[in-house]
Amino acid sequence: MGSHPITVTVNGAKERLNVQSNETLLQMLRERLALTGTKNGCSAGECGACTILMNGEPVNACMVLAVEADGADIVTVEGLAKDGQLNALQEAFAEQNAVQCGFCTPGVLISAHALLERNPHPTEEETKLALVGNLCRCTGYLRLVEAVQAASEKAAPSAPMKGDA
Amino acid sequence: MAVSEATSTSDPVGKSVRRVDVFDKLTGAATFTDDIQFGPNLYHARLARSPHAHALIKRIDTSKALEVPGVKAVVTGQDAPELVGMYLVDRPVLARERVRYFGEPVAGVVATSESIAEEASRLVEVEYEELPAVFEPMDAIKPDAPLIHPDLGEYKVVPFIFPEPGTNISEHFRLRKGDVESAWPKCDAIVEMTFGLPQIQHVPLEPHVSVALWEASGEVTLWTSTQSPHAQRDLIAQSIGIPHGNLRVMSPYVGGGFGGKAGVTMEASAVVLARAVKGHPVKLRMTREEEFVGTTMRQSLVAQTKIGCDAEGNLLAMETEYYFGGGAYNDYGVNIARAAGYSCTGPYDIPNVKGDSCSVYTNLPIGGPMRGFGMPEIHWGIEQIMDQLAEKIGMDPAEFRRRNCVKTGDTILTGMEMPAIDVAACVDKVTDAIDWDKREKPSAPHKRRGKGIAIMWKAPAMPPNPGSSAVVRFNEDGTLNVEIGAQELGQGAFTVAAQMAAQALGLPFEWVRVVGPIDTKYSPYEWQTVASRITWSMGNAVKAAAEDARRQILDVVAETWDETPEDLDIKDGVVISYRSEREQPLKEMVIYGLPKEDTEGWRGGPIVGRGSFMPTYVTNLDFDTGQGPRAVVHYTVGAQAVDLEVDTETGEIDFLKIASAYDVGKAINPDLIMTQIEGGAVHGLSSAFEALRFDERGRPLNQSMVDYRIASAVDVPKEIHGDYVETPLEDGPWGARGVGEHVMVQTAPAIANAINDALGIRFNDLPLSAEKIFLALQERGEKKA
Amino acid sequence: MYMPSPGLPEFDYVKPTSLAEASRILAERPDRTRPLMGGTDLFVRMRDGLVRPAKMVDVKHLPGMQAIRLDEEEGLTIGAATTLNQVAGHPVVQTRYPLLAEAANSVASYQIRNRATLGGNLCNASPAADTAPATLLLEGTMVLYGPGGERFVPAEDFFLGPGTTAIRPGEVMTAIRFPIPPAGSAGRYLKLGRNKAGDLAIAGVAVLGFPNGTPSGHSFRIGLASVGPVPLRAPQAEQALAANPPGEESFMLAAEKAMDAAAPIDDVRASAAYREAMVRRLTFRALRDVWAQMEEGK
Repeated sequence: MGSHPITVTVNGAKERLNVQSNETLLQMLRERLALTGTKNGCSAGECGACTILMNGEPVNACMVLAVEADGADIVTVEGLAKDGQLNALQEAFAEQNAVQCGFCTPGVLISAHALLERNPHPTEEETKLALVGNLCRCTGYLRLVEAVQAASEKAAPSAPMKGDA
Repeated sequence: MAVSEATSTSDPVGKSVRRVDVFDKLTGAATFTDDIQFGPNLYHARLARSPHAHALIKRIDTSKALEVPGVKAVVTGQDAPELVGMYLVDRPVLARERVRYFGEPVAGVVATSESIAEEASRLVEVEYEELPAVFEPMDAIKPDAPLIHPDLGEYKVVPFIFPEPGTNISEHFRLRKGDVESAWPKCDAIVEMTFGLPQIQHVPLEPHVSVALWEASGEVTLWTSTQSPHAQRDLIAQSIGIPHGNLRVMSPYVGGGFGGKAGVTMEASAVVLARAVKGHPVKLRMTREEEFVGTTMRQSLVAQTKIGCDAEGNLLAMETEYYFGGGAYNDYGVNIARAAGYSCTGPYDIPNVKGDSCSVYTNLPIGGPMRGFGMPEIHWGIEQIMDQLAEKIGMDPAEFRRRNCVKTGDTILTGMEMPAIDVAACVDKVTDAIDWDKREKPSAPHKRRGKGIAIMWKAPAMPPNPGSSAVVRFNEDGTLNVEIGAQELGQGAFTVAAQMAAQALGLPFEWVRVVGPIDTKYSPYEWQTVASRITWSMGNAVKAAAEDARRQILDVVAETWDETPEDLDIKDGVVISYRSEREQPLKEMVIYGLPKEDTEGWRGGPIVGRGSFMPTYVTNLDFDTGQGPRAVVHYTVGAQAVDLEVDTETGEIDFLKIASAYDVGKAINPDLIMTQIEGGAVHGLSSAFEALRFDERGRPLNQSMVDYRIASAVDVPKEIHGDYVETPLEDGPWGARGVGEHVMVQTAPAIANAINDALGIRFNDLPLSAEKIFLALQERGEKKA
Repeated sequence: MYMPSPGLPEFDYVKPTSLAEASRILAERPDRTRPLMGGTDLFVRMRDGLVRPAKMVDVKHLPGMQAIRLDEEEGLTIGAATTLNQVAGHPVVQTRYPLLAEAANSVASYQIRNRATLGGNLCNASPAADTAPATLLLEGTMVLYGPGGERFVPAEDFFLGPGTTAIRPGEVMTAIRFPIPPAGSAGRYLKLGRNKAGDLAIAGVAVLGFPNGTPSGHSFRIGLASVGPVPLRAPQAEQALAANPPGEESFMLAAEKAMDAAAPIDDVRASAAYREAMVRRLTFRALRDVWAQMEEGK
């Protein structure tokens, strides 16, 4: 099957890895880099628990091969808080009690983060549409939307650690 | 509601303090079972599964699987003779002699990687002899139905469950109160209907996963996502013959349970696989597809119900038969049938009741506990009949509920006296919130608007003696560790435990840390985190432990000050005297004690508080009548109203508002109750549209998220209005009782009642769908689209 | 497969440096090689065991595969590996081909649309492919590159059956070309799913309307998703709209005929009866909407 050497920036840190052809980005993050914040909920691109930023755009890590991430800039949930401080979006989630079991939370944060980057003041409807690919069984979604709205009303969320920026 | 991060919160009970687990969950630091790092010693397992719904196993050949490089062991039912089960021990860990559902594990492969284990699992060769299968409970109870458990009479079973050997009936609960036959003639309105509900699944975002390690010494460790570490230890230890002290179950955060991670599901498989490769931890995790049909699902139900009332709207009689489609193994499902039986009237005062509630074996995946534990299933029919009775006698449906709902002190169907609750207040709150009396116009000519209401009750369904225990230990700086056995599933158990400990001891909330993960080696006993029992039962244990610690502290300080403990108190971590106004900070004294005067020695020492709680007043119920002084510990009640619009051209529904109100006794953390109400309303709404589908050979048709759809962010109601009532529970901590399941119990019938209000069409069977609604409209001749 | 594997099966991942190389590799063992675009359909099918390529040929990066280019004569060329979000969000697509933008934007979730590609959606040829009706109506031409060089297949000849297209062994789709749409055209794509958004289409209807020298003064094109083995046109409905003046009556007539053109099946997602009825309803609504846009544009 062969293995492929890749270079990928993850949460601002450059990594050099040898990945298998059939290894997904999700497996690479969780099993090689021990970044277990990104979750495996379905391995089918349906639930969004594995959502990460790839070159600034939210994607399901289970739907990307690790080898396809060669040269990419990846941000996971671990890359959002800085120096142990929740960023404004995370703080809004805490304040709005938008976290219950926490399994969907990393993916939701990434999707929400990306939404606010491209649309700093989304409507409720736009927020819901942006979160369509993030399933949650605990919260009923309303708090997630409220948290995003609350965060959008404050300053723009702090930028994640980027590779060369 | 904003939950600010305070630094020192006094008297936290009743306040919406910030969750204690939120930082870790927001940063990705929160550890779930699949996140635990085990190192290169870790093996992986996959299961080979039956392609038949019912078949004898003639031969299993594991030789090809064993030849795959990297495979360390292949285990079959021959190597695992044990049966496991919660209330009825009917389930082999790996199939022995026969398979009873499509997907039943027949072998397990352990290998150095998951993909090798998977490859090898597909090389296990099994020769089957197919047997006739049965899928519907009504077929399974027929005398000529294939017998799924010929050995039913030999299974261990708890004293309060009564399987019928020689049949497919695993439990039959009988309720006889008064005399229904003489009551029917007195009824001015009678409604009799049959309702059907399909199997649905919990769909927790985190699929089941377990890691088991069996050491050569005989010590076994199980890391697993479970609601029930202690119950799993007990059941697995008993069935596999491990001394309890040798089996350690450790569960980190659970990514959603909803009942699916209660009892024992696939965890025992991990243990028997680990036994084959001693010294290596073995990880077994379910794919999402396996999660749907390889763990547990909510049982299906056929309910035949007849209820009658007089012209004034007084309920007089009810007769009901429940046939739960329990799937291939009913070890937990039997108690759902029982619970449905002893609560079969719903939250109503009905003087004459005849109820029969059965769980029935079928050749389908395993039925098990799911949020509501039989209550959502039975309320689907009950609440629709109540609506129809109201209609027949010309009474407003909300008024009908107010009139007939069970009230404090009523003698309910089992002969028990109803503890203090207030259904009517809940009804009032939701009718207010939804503007019940206002008839709004629909938003477009092709839409119809309707409002519906439903009430509910549920008791924790447990054996009579489920216990909780807790220990509180101080650190030198006066901060407190609270040790519990209850699990944080997302409902906020850890947070309310901290609140209650802080309140009972007199500490700021922020000084209290709940010790996790739950680990049977260190954590005090907790029966299970199920049944919405934790705030009440664990809460009592935590309160008792905190009060124990408080007494010890006050005794030491009182003696030191030569005062009496009754004049002392602890406030914000400082012991104060109301008499002398002296103060003693807890810091250090909770470990080192206090010096006596004149260096004559010391008083006190490390303060450790312990507490336990177990209800001792639940009684047996008569086998023939279901009567007994105290069937259950208590009931939580509530009401829900739904305001919706139906697009008659497509059948699609827009949910405008769901209003919910529950009698929680005491809101320990008000906003956490709101989050349960919101999540429950959406879960309840979604559940009305969900169904696991099987073909004519019992094979699943939609066991993936592509075709088993759950509510997403765009499907939610525009508004959810939550509220609560506080009628204290006599033995609840500060009067609190649980609400975690109740919040979704009556959503489906409330929706059905609202649809009926909008369209004049009733749906007896779940699931609902736009298609079903549209085709029903078409059949009525109304819409050609 | 009832129980898909947890992970992807083994395969060789290759990243050719030219289309010629890609085509050569694909032609070697066409039954065991697959071009890799977004992967969002392919990976699921691979876990299911439906597809077991020995080699996956990543073509996304090849020249032009992710380009969107408008030429006022030739029209719009969209690289086959352009993601659906890129298609839906591109200003040229939004202003000049809004029907295509809308269709692309209706697929699944934002995350999926960041990987799924227009070419992939079309080549996967699910009967429910959301971009297929719009591509038909906008008269898209598939640009294929293979052992014989470049080949052009009009959309109407491209879809042969569920999951089957006119692509030949060794060929890969490099782009889709759309002529400049008729002047004054307006479009709408409506789809019905089990969720209010994010689901596969139970039924999808695309409509493109524009002023034309027909007896009615207008032409409408109608495309249907998920109600036949391939995406369908509704020629008799279109003829009825060419003949009769636009309005509720002709729209209802056309909707009936569109329903007749549909050939849906019962499956676990919906019944044929419901799908048929929804074709009628969605066609009517789409026609009404497009007409309103056209009126507004005047």
